[in-house]
Amino acid sequence: MTPVLDIRDLGVSFGGLKAVDQVSFQAQRHRITTVIGPNGAGKSTLFNLISGALRPHRGQVLIDGVDMTGAAPERTKAAGLSRSFQITSLFSELTVAENLRLAAQVLEPVGRTLLPISRSTRALAKTGQMLDRFQLAHKRDDLVGNLSHGDQRRLEIAVCLASEPKILLLDEPTQGMSHGDTAATAELVRGLTDDVTVLLIEHDIGLVMSLSDHVVVMHQGRKLAEGSPDVVRADPAVQAAYFGHA
Amino acid sequence: MHDRLTQSMRASHLLALLFVLASLALAAMGTATDDTFYLRLGTEALIFAGLALSVDLLLGYSGVLSLGQALYFGIGAYVSALTLMKVPSFWLAMAAAFTASLLAAIIGGLIANRVRGVYFALITFGLAQVLAKVVYNTRELGSSDGMIGIPVIEIAFGPFSVSTGSPVGFFLIVLVVIMALYALTAYLLDTPFGRVLTALKSNERRVPFLGYSAWRARMAAYVLAGVVAGLSGALYPMLRGFVSPELMFFATSGNAVISVVLGGVGTLAGAIYGSVLLVILKSIIGSWTEHHLIVIGLIFMLCVLFLPKGLAGVLRPPVEAWLSRHRRIPGPVPDAPVLPAIAVDTKAAPQ
Repeated sequence: MTPVLDIRDLGVSFGGLKAVDQVSFQAQRHRITTVIGPNGAGKSTLFNLISGALRPHRGQVLIDGVDMTGAAPERTKAAGLSRSFQITSLFSELTVAENLRLAAQVLEPVGRTLLPISRSTRALAKTGQMLDRFQLAHKRDDLVGNLSHGDQRRLEIAVCLASEPKILLLDEPTQGMSHGDTAATAELVRGLTDDVTVLLIEHDIGLVMSLSDHVVVMHQGRKLAEGSPDVVRADPAVQAAYFGHA
Repeated sequence: MHDRLTQSMRASHLLALLFVLASLALAAMGTATDDTFYLRLGTEALIFAGLALSVDLLLGYSGVLSLGQALYFGIGAYVSALTLMKVPSFWLAMAAAFTASLLAAIIGGLIANRVRGVYFALITFGLAQVLAKVVYNTRELGSSDGMIGIPVIEIAFGPFSVSTGSPVGFFLIVLVVIMALYALTAYLLDTPFGRVLTALKSNERRVPFLGYSAWRARMAAYVLAGVVAGLSGALYPMLRGFVSPELMFFATSGNAVISVVLGGVGTLAGAIYGSVLLVILKSIIGSWTEHHLIVIGLIFMLCVLFLPKGLAGVLRPPVEAWLSRHRRIPGPVPDAPVLPAIAVDTKAAPQ
């Protein structure tokens, strides 16, 4: 079976710095693959290359076997890839429900683009579903700029999911969260694999080990190791480069 | 679903309706008193309201400041004038202005949408100045004098016809055209397409990651605004009988921006009120002093400082609240049940 996401020999340089260099791995369907590595290892750059925010200088990105290397974000989105951001990037002047509906709008047929928004019933239903699933229903009409950090992080995931993607890239979803919120988010991410394949960047090692099916370790732009959490944890190179500092 | 933008748009519609009623009252009074001056002034204010509408679409919804929207207004005016001098047909002039401003806005959009923010403002300013200077120096277009002698025409609607020379008749025609442009813009903003535009204003960088091409949305907004400006401009030579390069100059673009700020950015109806307010202010203050621009400038500064949401920013929230109160009657029961409240009132009365 073709892997849902296939990264082949991906690389990009900024000036002389090879931010991402010869990175290859695959994400298996309905599994959680986590990318870990110290700060500056190139994890977020990797996400930018996969999602189309940056164009790679070499290598390939295949989504469901289709070459999407260097495609613009709206095209990788159309191919079924949705991503969140390390620093929350929502529409702060719109309400919670409006943010979700904007994301869910892509589910509607093109013919409804110029019809009144109330006709977009599918997007509306999806919005309601997401509000319930992420326990945001009581805040549906709040402006996103007024939400708490934890709520914004949850909404960020909900917005990514509202368009029914095949692959979800989550860039440090628990960043800045309290301990309780982190546990709740982990539970939430675990539940996502019924619908999507998850590619995760995460710093909380405990979380990574308990949540991931597959772990990719990056160090100075390169892939240092990959495998199941136990295999990676036992790898001496990983221990030296990463856990040694932890 | 309760929708914030749909609801605030309803408030704008009510303001627009009040505006139409006030305009009809002016038309009736003008007819009764056989007035020409105020009707002509009102018609001019309405025409510039169309230009302000196009500025508000860009500034208030897709979040970019155009300092050269007069470019498309001027193109509409010149193309309409040239058409009318050859064939005295209202519909043909409007169709020609539509086509010309559409093409011009596509070209202008391809240039201006390469950049953002301040640079966008500067490029739109530059584009308008360049074309204005070209017109200013083209003898075939009347150079700096512009073109005079645009004939008075009959506008035919089936069996009826209205002359552009009739102050009240043409005032009503312009009212219909401008309100149609308002309705079209307001309608489009309340569609999924329009919501992508408002998303651009809020966080453009996230838009592509939701699956929408930000560039296409920006182009669509820019071209739509260009056409709205062009169609408004097409009415100008029918009113005044001439066109001049000043129509494309920065003063015209700047006035439209001032109108939008006075009226309330991002309200559409506010742009129309703002334009009328500016024309009234100019004509009143202009009758006291020839330095009226100083006073207008001061008013603009005071408005930005103390009334940043403009006239509609003050008028709309109460209208919105009133509208939502009146819509809730058949809906869910409000927090405090109605009956006990009345009972409390009757008890309180003897005290």
